[in-house]
Amino acid sequence: MLSSLIFLLSLIFVTCTQADSDYHERLLLRPLPQSALLASFNFRSNESSASFEHRNFRYFPRSLGQTLQHAHTKELHLRFSLGRWDAESWGARPWDGTREGGTGVELWAWVDASSDEEAFARWLTLTNALSGLFCASLNFIDSTKTIRPVISFRPEGHHTNSSLLNLHLLHGTLPHEVVCTENLTPFLKLLPCKGKAGISSLLDGHKLFDASWQTMSIDVRPVCGDGSECVLEMEQTVDMVLDIERSKRPRDNPIPRPVPTEELSCDTSKPYNSEDSCYPLDKDAEPSWSLAEVFGRPLKGACPLTDASGYESETVCINVPTEREVQVNTSGTYAEERHEDGLLRCYKLPTGVDFDLILPEQVPTANLALEEPPLYAARSINGHGQERGSVQAVITNPSTTSAIQFVYLESLPWFMKPYLHTLRASISTSPSSNPIEETYYRPAVDRHRGTHLELLLSIPPASTITLTYDFEKAILRYTEYPPDANRGFDVAPAVIRLLPSNSSPNTKNVYLRTTSLLLPLPTPDFSMPYNVIILTSTVMALGFGHIFNLLVRRFVGVDEVENWNTGGLKGMLKSRIERLRARFLGKGKKDE
Amino acid sequence: MNSLQTVLFFAIALIALTSGEHTSNWAVLVSTSRFWFNYRHLANVLSLYRTVKRLGIPDSQIILMLPDDMACNPRNAFPGTVYNNADRALDLYGDNIEVDYRGYEVTVENFIRLLTDRVGEDMPRSKRLLTDDRSNILVYMTGHGGNEFLKFQDAEEISAFDLADAFEQMWEKKRYHEMLFMIDTCQANTMYSKFYSPNILATGSSEIDQSSYSHHADNDVGVAVIDRYTYYNLDFLETQVREPSSKLTMGDLFDSYDEEKIHSHPGVRYDLFSGGEAGARSRLVMDFFGNVQNVEVEGGFAGNETTWQEELQAIERMIDEAKRRHNESMVPLSQHPIENTERLVRKSVLKKEGAAKVNVDSSWGKQIVGAVALLGCLGVWAAGSWLEAQD
Repeated sequence: MLSSLIFLLSLIFVTCTQADSDYHERLLLRPLPQSALLASFNFRSNESSASFEHRNFRYFPRSLGQTLQHAHTKELHLRFSLGRWDAESWGARPWDGTREGGTGVELWAWVDASSDEEAFARWLTLTNALSGLFCASLNFIDSTKTIRPVISFRPEGHHTNSSLLNLHLLHGTLPHEVVCTENLTPFLKLLPCKGKAGISSLLDGHKLFDASWQTMSIDVRPVCGDGSECVLEMEQTVDMVLDIERSKRPRDNPIPRPVPTEELSCDTSKPYNSEDSCYPLDKDAEPSWSLAEVFGRPLKGACPLTDASGYESETVCINVPTEREVQVNTSGTYAEERHEDGLLRCYKLPTGVDFDLILPEQVPTANLALEEPPLYAARSINGHGQERGSVQAVITNPSTTSAIQFVYLESLPWFMKPYLHTLRASISTSPSSNPIEETYYRPAVDRHRGTHLELLLSIPPASTITLTYDFEKAILRYTEYPPDANRGFDVAPAVIRLLPSNSSPNTKNVYLRTTSLLLPLPTPDFSMPYNVIILTSTVMALGFGHIFNLLVRRFVGVDEVENWNTGGLKGMLKSRIERLRARFLGKGKKDE
Repeated sequence: MNSLQTVLFFAIALIALTSGEHTSNWAVLVSTSRFWFNYRHLANVLSLYRTVKRLGIPDSQIILMLPDDMACNPRNAFPGTVYNNADRALDLYGDNIEVDYRGYEVTVENFIRLLTDRVGEDMPRSKRLLTDDRSNILVYMTGHGGNEFLKFQDAEEISAFDLADAFEQMWEKKRYHEMLFMIDTCQANTMYSKFYSPNILATGSSEIDQSSYSHHADNDVGVAVIDRYTYYNLDFLETQVREPSSKLTMGDLFDSYDEEKIHSHPGVRYDLFSGGEAGARSRLVMDFFGNVQNVEVEGGFAGNETTWQEELQAIERMIDEAKRRHNESMVPLSQHPIENTERLVRKSVLKKEGAAKVNVDSSWGKQIVGAVALLGCLGVWAAGSWLEAQD
């Protein structure tokens, strides 16, 4: 339901790209079960390829445009994500998972180059430039974190066949990367309205990074309409699932406090219900909320660069049942339109004044049906010990009718060495058959590149595939450990791409990603080198000292010491003089 | 002749005026501690970041190094915020922040590379210290340290000698005009004791064998939120230096240090500074914490009429040239298809590297080959031993 809505919206977006304005934005709100709220922000701007080549930037941000030109990047996808999409409660992913990344930072791009070396050099240029632009450690994407996927990704934009030959797809992930306000700041600065007006004025780091799940994406791709001039399209999206109760807490006092007794609604049927004991009842009603409450700031009117009329001008849409009461609070003029049999209400925002949507508390009469995700996937590390372990991925097809063909992509760090001969895939419904149709594999080379494993599998309806393989943990060098080595090492999420089936001709891509894994590696006691140095020094001192003493010192008995008591400097001088005198005297005696 | 003399006089006067001044301000703000319980070190650095930003240094001239993420840390009850006071009046993280080096990027190597500008060619401008001999730099460091060292992320340390040599290299490369070095760590004053480059004014929070203490804790954040020395520095900067036109001097700042309150003995090192103690103390606080927009007129002899007219004509020519090139390129390009075919030819030789398809060969062919090879070896061995027996 949701993804089809978004698909419809994006279709309309695409058909409207030839409209007056080259900048579009839209916010889609959708309440989810358990008082969650999905907010999907979408910003899209176009720049004609010719003016891009001539560095005439209008809506396209100059900083990013110059980076792309410098690194010869023709198509770019950048993702910053946090949290886990709870498919069991929230259903299918927004945008069919195509605007989503794995936990941390994920980047893939098509780079124009004549050789692999050149492509990789340009890729490094790109990652370094993006790291400066987005305040993220993207410069850590080096050869060990870069793979070249074979079947998992296809260019979204239109590239001519001749140019495709020169394009190199490179993909890198940083699963440990933190996503925080410093990444949102440059993201907002890329927008033409810079978070000052339009729906981007709702984006606040304090709420965005408190969300149960959030992903920010940037996609740049060339789009060629039939016959018309090619444009370079830049799409920025922010998707987040907010917990309404949590978001409504005031920012200066976000720690939950107990509800006052008089506001508690108790289950009076419980035998222990009394003055001082209460079993709280679940509220039937959907909680009340408003935009200003959940986003922590008001929506400051329309961005003046969007279309003034038509469907494109309706920049805020809310997807609620027709019975749900939605109040609008604004002093300006706005317009409300209903689409999809009233399930989708869209608003044209007033310019220059605040706009707010208020949903009062209401007992729902009908709930929107959640769309079931096409696949469920979970992945975990099994085993114990410091030496080896195994990975298990469980992928379930909930559909009772259709089989699904999909690609499973793993990009493992070099210090996690899988044994490909232990790779097993079993189907719950037919244990004897092998679901793996194709395998693409590139083994790791220590400290140079990671493992790249790509599998093409097909899953029959209503069944579960269990994919397992064993791996060995490498021992790192002392200096290769990060400062927080005992925390473990992050393994990038697996990417699953659903291939369009032969029966249904619509060729939309569906992606999903598992969570990242935490791999505990054997960590040394980091004070050990100092212990070793100290011990070695002690052994050296003892051994060397004794041998040295034996070689150069003379050992005498205590009774012999009597004759040696004229030691020291004085004694030495005295003996010298004695000897000299003896020599002279001796000579004299001879003369006599 | 007379007019030339006046021009010369003004030019010399102008040089005399500007030569003692700086033309840009930079700030390098470094926290060196990872882990949640070191929240206060990040708060220290972010407080300084807010202060220099308030006094006018733009984000592009601030290098901020944060080794850990406190704002979005799961332990933080106040997501997206960092506070330096239990009253939580000011959110240091705010809505507009640019962190240049973060997480594992904060290392001794990166710090020294930043100071000396020994970086790779791909290093973005925002991560570089693009200063010149007219730049005043504020270097602020905080973390856990000891006698002549400062720890970075509990994994490595920078010594006072490393730091002194890095500053000397900066001076040799004409990378600063004057520098204020400020450090808040245990035994901080030992960190600047080895400096030997000119024009550095250094101050630290505590003497050798003295600890630097935290100021207070916030019970809801759960940890100490700021260190004492930084707290009283900020107190001065926020209550006294209210606008960029402030005429307060560094002497005023140093005099505001109260050892009773700071619980340690802050130190100041004047001897490297030109003009010694008096010169250093008379410097404005705004010379290091604020941003100046002094413009230096290059050459001083540019008063010549014909020179600037020539320059104007040169600029005009450049504009014409740019227009001409633009117009040319707007005409549909004919050479593009040729270029494409060229590439196509070049392409056909190229083989992209990447994962290879794994084929499971379950046919009998390979097994037969293996069996034949084994039998062959057996045969050779048998023949060999038979020949041996013949002898």
